[in-house]
Amino acid sequence: MAEVAPVNLTEDERRRFQEEALPMLDSLYAAALRMTRNPADAEDLVQEAMMRAYRAFDRFEAGTNLKAWLFRILTNAYINTYRKRQREPQKVSSDEVEEFDLYQELKGRDGEFGRSAETEVLDGLVDDDIIKALDDLPDQFRMAVILSDVEDFSYAEMAQIMDVPLGTVMSRLHRGRKALQKRLWELAKDRGIVKDQKDKQKQNGDT
Amino acid sequence: MKEVCRETLQRAYLYLDGEMLSVAERREIEVHLEECAPCLERYGLDKEVAQMLHRLRNNCQCPDSLRSKISGIIEA
Repeated sequence: MAEVAPVNLTEDERRRFQEEALPMLDSLYAAALRMTRNPADAEDLVQEAMMRAYRAFDRFEAGTNLKAWLFRILTNAYINTYRKRQREPQKVSSDEVEEFDLYQELKGRDGEFGRSAETEVLDGLVDDDIIKALDDLPDQFRMAVILSDVEDFSYAEMAQIMDVPLGTVMSRLHRGRKALQKRLWELAKDRGIVKDQKDKQKQNGDT
Repeated sequence: MKEVCRETLQRAYLYLDGEMLSVAERREIEVHLEECAPCLERYGLDKEVAQMLHRLRNNCQCPDSLRSKISGIIEA
């Protein structure tokens, strides 16, 4: 990568970039890691995004939202460069996602536990399960969930970052959250936190 | 699911996300959640999963090597 310092930044802009943009590296790296799903690509992506941001910093309007501006650059860099060489996550059928209802699934299992199924299942899932569930979501859903639930961006900021209308932000976020809950439920079954219905039927059939 | 439940849950996302809702709209959601136990539980689940995701923020930090690489390029 050509690492040429931009000639068009003033000393003041350079200092502001150091003071204001660099402290966001943790957030940017965390998001990059969830986008690319591996540390090496995440490092490359953050470095590329920060270089692009630095070179364009004279066009950043002081006083506006720097975090959203940086995340937009990060998101674009990911879409343009990294997504192409990433493994495609599993396809999520929209209808199945729309119909999934974690509440109903849990309600059907209250009998398996002394406490409520909700507490048992959610407490049983660890951060690695959440990461795994998130990593399995299709790109657009994953981005929406990361930006909203991990990074706390507003819908309006997300529309700016992902360059889509507000309605699209809301629908991606809604479907992304549903798909995530569905995946978490599947993981809870894989990990034996809840019994797989098929096993259960088999057991019942055996006795 | 009843239409009122479906609508409330749709808007409960806005409520959960702190998005602009009028006082009257917020009140409508609160009233329904107080009256309808399944909706309250569904809302609670959405909230809990959102909080689990939020914890991931503290889960990783930018590696020092990357931080110094970027600072180095900027200071150059």
